[in-house]
Amino acid sequence: MDALNNLGQGFSVAFDPMNLLFVFIGVVIGTAIGVLPGLGPTATIALLLPITYTMDPVGAVIMLAGIYYGSMYGGTITSVLLRLPGEAASVVTTFDGYQMTKQGRAGTALGISAIGSFIGGTVAIVGLTFLAPLLSKVAVAVGPAGYVAIMILGLFLVTSLGTGSTVKSLFMAGVGLLLSTVGQDPVTGTARFTFGQTSLLGGLDFVAIAMGLFGVGELLHSLERSEKGQAVTTKIKNIWPSRKDFKDSSGAIARGSVLGFFIGVLPGGGGVISSLASYAMEKRRAKDPSRFGKGAIEGVAGPETANNASSTSAFIPLLVLGIPSNVVLALIYGALLLHGITPGPQLINDHPNVFWGVVASMYIGNLMLIILNIPLVGVFIQMLRVRAGILSTFALLVVMVGVFSINNNPFDMWVVLVFGVLGWVMIKAHFDPGPLVLAFILGPILEKSFRQTMLISEGSFGIFASDPVSAAIFILIGLFILYGFITRSRRRQGTRRAAAAGPEESNTLVHAPAALSNSIRQKDKGAP
Amino acid sequence: MGMDMTKLALGPAELEYDRPPAGKNDRPGHQQRRLVPLVLVAAGVSAVIGSWRLSLGELNSPGPGLWPFIVSIAVTITAAILTLVPDSAVPETWTRRTAGIAGGVGSLCVFVVLFESIGFLIPAFLMLMLWLRAFGREPWRWTIPLAVGGAVVLHVIFAGLLGVPFPDDIVVTTLPRTIGF
Repeated sequence: MDALNNLGQGFSVAFDPMNLLFVFIGVVIGTAIGVLPGLGPTATIALLLPITYTMDPVGAVIMLAGIYYGSMYGGTITSVLLRLPGEAASVVTTFDGYQMTKQGRAGTALGISAIGSFIGGTVAIVGLTFLAPLLSKVAVAVGPAGYVAIMILGLFLVTSLGTGSTVKSLFMAGVGLLLSTVGQDPVTGTARFTFGQTSLLGGLDFVAIAMGLFGVGELLHSLERSEKGQAVTTKIKNIWPSRKDFKDSSGAIARGSVLGFFIGVLPGGGGVISSLASYAMEKRRAKDPSRFGKGAIEGVAGPETANNASSTSAFIPLLVLGIPSNVVLALIYGALLLHGITPGPQLINDHPNVFWGVVASMYIGNLMLIILNIPLVGVFIQMLRVRAGILSTFALLVVMVGVFSINNNPFDMWVVLVFGVLGWVMIKAHFDPGPLVLAFILGPILEKSFRQTMLISEGSFGIFASDPVSAAIFILIGLFILYGFITRSRRRQGTRRAAAAGPEESNTLVHAPAALSNSIRQKDKGAP
Repeated sequence: MGMDMTKLALGPAELEYDRPPAGKNDRPGHQQRRLVPLVLVAAGVSAVIGSWRLSLGELNSPGPGLWPFIVSIAVTITAAILTLVPDSAVPETWTRRTAGIAGGVGSLCVFVVLFESIGFLIPAFLMLMLWLRAFGREPWRWTIPLAVGGAVVLHVIFAGLLGVPFPDDIVVTTLPRTIGF
């Protein structure tokens, strides 16, 4: 068993005392920021990027990955206790989790979430261990045309599966690609869009953009709201679920693991969509769907399992194809690039330490998380006492200093401020900055592959049809667009029918996607 | 795909608390919805012109402007679609706190300028004081110790432990002299 041998080697990397420490720091920070409303995994990882620059690449990715899946655990706590999702993927958990708290079953809800998260996470890591090496063998054979197609598929799925308007997301992706062209042309060295500024010749710094859009932008947005700290008054008891609870939720956990794993592998997958999909699935399968929204344990167990499974399997496209499937992974991709490691099909062979070390660290991290979450949940709740004003003020100062430390250049501080203001305006106008950052990262690789393709084909676009990989992918994209049109026109018919039935119902249908995206954007605001 | 499942998953009751308040926000929202995409189209068009000027080259030997040209056309097209079919999400309105945020951003600009000229400690202390007091609404008994402690701790972490070369710090250079070292 090749994979097992390699995994063993990975464990020897992960059990290095420094790396163990980084897993621990990662999962603790992850749980903490999951608990703290207003500071999600994206903002946190963006804030920490400059620090990872000084670290060894394996340790850096191990820590950042820990923050990501750790935040999936932590986000549950406030969703269940206060109906305040700490990060977007936990919005769904508020529906039934908060109801369970009202019924005095807060402990059970938290317990089953932690257990489900552990199972989902572990199933996905096992999948990652065995599937990723196979996929990378296939991926090595993909040529530049296929690569262009894969990246376009990735961007397309990220924009269309996102929570906001597809056209807006496509626009943002375009802006991201355009921003990535600022600086010197990779082939001829001609200055592009630098407006005579020598500081721009090297291009815009990815870290500065990410920190601006996600760090500063989100902080400004959360400061704009007057927030009051909420105290947890609930007594948490019976955290270990009863035998009946286990029986009720075992199906949801099993389905959530599988569903989450596969959704995570898709570009654009990751936390939010998987938890929604799992909730929808459980509700549809239930004998009595009316229990949902009133404290059904499956409605907590399924989504929490799925979001952990998907946040783990989302590493597959990143580590195997070099395509980050969501913004958090795009930031981790950026962290690897900072260390001179380009994620892609070669990663597993060229840097086996990074690949297998990170995979092995995930097994350890998940174990640490369940230990942290079940007995120590009370400690994390105490963190809610830290007032939002203090937290965001210090976070802002750390951003400003952190971004300076990347190149020791005050110019980057101005970039962060400009993108911070842009990010804040985008949030207000409901433009999702995620596709922009993703496209900004993919931009240079996409341009390079596109130019290579054009050189190979001597300027003919026919190569995209004759290359089997790219042809298959473009057909897939076409099918997605077709599917989108069909469902949209059906929905419109449905709305018309509903409008005939009664105004209230039609309103709900039309508002469903918008309302959800609002709720996800306003995750730090909580319920009125 | 995700959205369809959402629709199935969420019943009316669950969506109730998320719905944006209807009524009074509609008018300014409508104007913004038309104005913003127009600005974006203009930006897209100027990017198209900018890339054209960089010289496009041929498809088999692309010039520096070809790729930006393709991308900026895509940007312009999507912005144009937004002008014609505005998104249904209502933009958030501007409140009194919005003006406060603008002031906050201004203070950060001052921070950068001061940081470049007199180093980290004093600007960081001032920034923390302003933000903790004005935005965090902390009482003075918390603001002052947090601002002093925060500035010093961050200085030690970044300049001391991580070795980040901050611009010459007025406090670090003058303090030893004043206390007689």
